[in-house]
Amino acid sequence: MSQTSGPLAIKRISASPDPGPGIRRSPEYAKLVDISRCIGCKGCEVACKEWNELKIEPTYNFGSYQSHEDLSPDTWLLMRFKEIQDLQTGSIEWLIKKDACLHCEEPGCLYACPSPGAIVQYENGIVDFNQEQCIGCQYCVSGCPFDVPRFNPETRKVYKCNMCVDRVEAGLEPACVKTCPTNAISWGSKPDMVELAHRKVDRLQGRGFAQATLYDPAGVGGTHMMYVVPHGDRLGDYDLPEDPTASPGALAALAGLKKLGATAMGLGVVAAALHYLGFGPERPEEPGAAP
Amino acid sequence: MKGGDVHRFSFVERVVHWVVGVTFVYLLLTGLAFSHPSLFWITSVVGGGPAARVLHPWIGLLYSAGLVAMIALWIRDMGISRDEIAWLKAIRSYATHDKSRVPPVGKYNPGQKLFFWLMGALGVAHFVSGLPLWLPDGILGMGPFHGGTANAMRVAHYLTTIGGGLLLIMHVYLGTLAFPGTARAMLQGTVSEAWAKHHHPLWDADESGRVEQAPETEAVPRP
Repeated sequence: MSQTSGPLAIKRISASPDPGPGIRRSPEYAKLVDISRCIGCKGCEVACKEWNELKIEPTYNFGSYQSHEDLSPDTWLLMRFKEIQDLQTGSIEWLIKKDACLHCEEPGCLYACPSPGAIVQYENGIVDFNQEQCIGCQYCVSGCPFDVPRFNPETRKVYKCNMCVDRVEAGLEPACVKTCPTNAISWGSKPDMVELAHRKVDRLQGRGFAQATLYDPAGVGGTHMMYVVPHGDRLGDYDLPEDPTASPGALAALAGLKKLGATAMGLGVVAAALHYLGFGPERPEEPGAAP
Repeated sequence: MKGGDVHRFSFVERVVHWVVGVTFVYLLLTGLAFSHPSLFWITSVVGGGPAARVLHPWIGLLYSAGLVAMIALWIRDMGISRDEIAWLKAIRSYATHDKSRVPPVGKYNPGQKLFFWLMGALGVAHFVSGLPLWLPDGILGMGPFHGGTANAMRVAHYLTTIGGGLLLIMHVYLGTLAFPGTARAMLQGTVSEAWAKHHHPLWDADESGRVEQAPETEAVPRP
């Protein structure tokens, strides 16, 4: 596994018309989750909590092997367990998905964010929330095609996986990668991980998973957490959107409308000024006033 | 005081108008700050981004309440009658101060009435599209409004804002620079008789245009 390190360089900043400075370049990293190798131990969940010092949330039995029902401001990584019964054969399949931020190359959350600098994307592909700049509007929640960010009503900030950006900057792999006992999670440069994924997919197909595939959706420019999915024809069973997009129709329209709206308001003021210059004020004739 | 002043807006009407006016400007400014990165600095004069995000919906509720009161106060006067279509057809002459070609109007001209109805309609649109943005996790058993719904509501909220902003520019310009003597009606509640005769001749003739004779000034016989 190639170890990577280097100072963080900013690529994109939320609500900022300026591009990142683009002085430093760093390789793009990616996490590859091979779903077929996951044994569901949830060690990654614990490692995530430990490294990021996230609050422990009590668990209870809701009829699933899953630890929590959903992601939360204090649970950035959740192993989702799904039992799927094949009605034809009666056999049961146990699908496990590592649910956390996918760190899109085209981050819908960042594009939706109105607060400058609350969301940044580094050259290495990590998308990070700066809670001190967050205004709590939750537009990122709606902008995310994977339903990942979670709002904390007490702090009025939004939280999600930061790919252990502090570890990555220091040349370490994210905590979940480090702890995984079956090497179901790999870490390295994006091209290396894509290559590794193709080898894994080939092997799976050779083992009878004919539809095995790499999940690295093009609609969001690819992601920096990718999945090797054994049943590539049943993405819905893993709650993976078939064709996610960073800029859903409404938001893409909004970007254009904003230019139009700002222009219209500016023109409104100009029109009023021109009208005044052209026609002046209309005063009633005061009785007795000099004409 | 020339020939006495004409009473135009009561104290309650003026208070309601300014509640709506001040809250609208606050909402417009903070809303623009949220939608245009280059205007985000506006949040720093209202206590910072998080505070603006918390206040915007509450001020929006106050604005909505003000609009409701305003509609209750004025709706009776705001019906556009058939013979006022002629005024709307002559709106070009109105805009170019070509007074001789503009039919005389009562207390409100049809343009003002249209403004009233447009602001009311935009208010409803603002309220409906704003609620899901305020409480994306759901309200009153509806929601949650994540993803597509919220994004569509953002577009709707933005479009109504631009509509309201354009109307505001027009409203302020017409009420101040274009027609001097008008803003007084919303500040002191009165206009000069000359203003009333010039801009709203049918209203002046009407009984609703009560003439206040200021007792301390010497009585000037009305023509």
